[in-house]
Amino acid sequence: MRPNPSTVLSWGTIAALLLLWYGVTTLGLVQPTVLPSPVDLLREFQALVRQGYAQKPLAEHLVSSLARTFIGLGLGLLVGIPLGLAMGAHRPLFAVLSPIFAFMRPIPPIAFIPLMILYFGIGEFSKVFLIFMAALWYVVLNASAGVRSVPQDLVRAAQNLGLTSAQIFRHVIFWAALPHVLTGVKTATAVSWAIVVAAELIAAQAGLGFLVMDAATFFRVPDVYIGIIIIGLIGLTLEVITRALERSLLHWQGR
Amino acid sequence: MTARIELQGVGKVFPPLHRGQAPVTALEDVNLAIAEREIVAVLGPSGCGKTTLLNLIAGFDQPTSGSIRVDGRPLTRPGPDRSLVFQSPALFSWLTVQENVTFGPRFRGEPPAEYLPRARDLIRAVGLDGWEHHYPYQLSGGMRQRVQLVRALVNRPAVLLMDEPFGALDAQTRARMQELLLQVWELDRPTVLLVTHDVEEAIFLSHRLYVLTRAPGRVKFALTVPFAAPRSLALTGSAEFAALKYSVLKSLWEEMP
Repeated sequence: MRPNPSTVLSWGTIAALLLLWYGVTTLGLVQPTVLPSPVDLLREFQALVRQGYAQKPLAEHLVSSLARTFIGLGLGLLVGIPLGLAMGAHRPLFAVLSPIFAFMRPIPPIAFIPLMILYFGIGEFSKVFLIFMAALWYVVLNASAGVRSVPQDLVRAAQNLGLTSAQIFRHVIFWAALPHVLTGVKTATAVSWAIVVAAELIAAQAGLGFLVMDAATFFRVPDVYIGIIIIGLIGLTLEVITRALERSLLHWQGR
Repeated sequence: MTARIELQGVGKVFPPLHRGQAPVTALEDVNLAIAEREIVAVLGPSGCGKTTLLNLIAGFDQPTSGSIRVDGRPLTRPGPDRSLVFQSPALFSWLTVQENVTFGPRFRGEPPAEYLPRARDLIRAVGLDGWEHHYPYQLSGGMRQRVQLVRALVNRPAVLLMDEPFGALDAQTRARMQELLLQVWELDRPTVLLVTHDVEEAIFLSHRLYVLTRAPGRVKFALTVPFAAPRSLALTGSAEFAALKYSVLKSLWEEMP
């Protein structure tokens, strides 16, 4: 199979950047305290894996961040998907709740971090709660928009075939709204990961955000870079997983 | 003999969309009667209330005046006894052809042993065998409308309602679908009410046709189409067909603003 020319070009960019990085650092054009060389990073990474960071194994930092994300996001989806679908189907409920969501949505969730700390302290609850709220906004808004955009003919076709309202909701409206719901899930996942890192930067004892912030405070520049790279790779993995989920659930769209 | 569908003095007035506007009268004093096993076409200029008429008979909407009776009983709500074929394919795109076709009987709790053979026969009759496990996105426009037709007919409806069912298809596909409809109709011979703006389609398919006036829609005249069954596409090339088409077109032009 011939490789796709665009893929080749993209890998070329990655290779060129790595080479440039390696070049400027080994030639001494940049101070290692500002930008460590890839070789130094690799060595430091091995040390981190062996010794951990701040008396905790690297895996523990990773798991802390992921656990906060998944608990907050999971609760957000669990509450948000049914709530959004119900809001889309039920006009009065939408009228009552939509002002709250419309007001909250444009506020970056990170702006609530100080308030969360004030109310709930710097423990796990404030972080998980923040992620829960952010995930909830995105999922509710997308799910309710999805229900409201279901073509009238589809609902009428089902009524015409003799389905009850409950059957129509479950077997027609839910599926027709699913693409919107999954867009919400995708956005909520990406946002949750961004928020957990931000929350950990400000107040945490473990987690990748904590690692990056703490390493910067003690001028451990390689650790800062390693933390950022791991955060990026996990973000990318989450995106790949949600996209694969979307593709398999929506295969009938034929895209 | 009671008519299968009977409309008496049916009117429909829609409340204004915006404050300060006048209410819109879509239909006014419509009287029509359709007998069992009859194919009737309703023709009219666009905006004359044809689709409103169909929505009323389907039970999606209530008339503001007059009465609609099916088999002598007043209408209460939508149901599979009056199966509707939409202009848009309106298929459930997350389901296969087979699942779309059996959607109604399955959720009404019919035993599969009854509806599966029916579905299989109809799928074969419209030439979709081999496509049962494909999804709507994999089908052409004409095939989607055939799926819709089978999804309606599998309920063995007393009445088949069609809203410009071939309006979105190209001319060749449309002609082929019209022939196919007549073939499939022979299987069960349901009463058909077809709403269209295509004069040729109305004459080719129907036993009788009604022409509506421009909005508010009223019956301008009714006409018995004299051509015997079985009809084939060759009929549309005959002089008699052309003469009838011209006279109906002329009366429709009078209704154009």
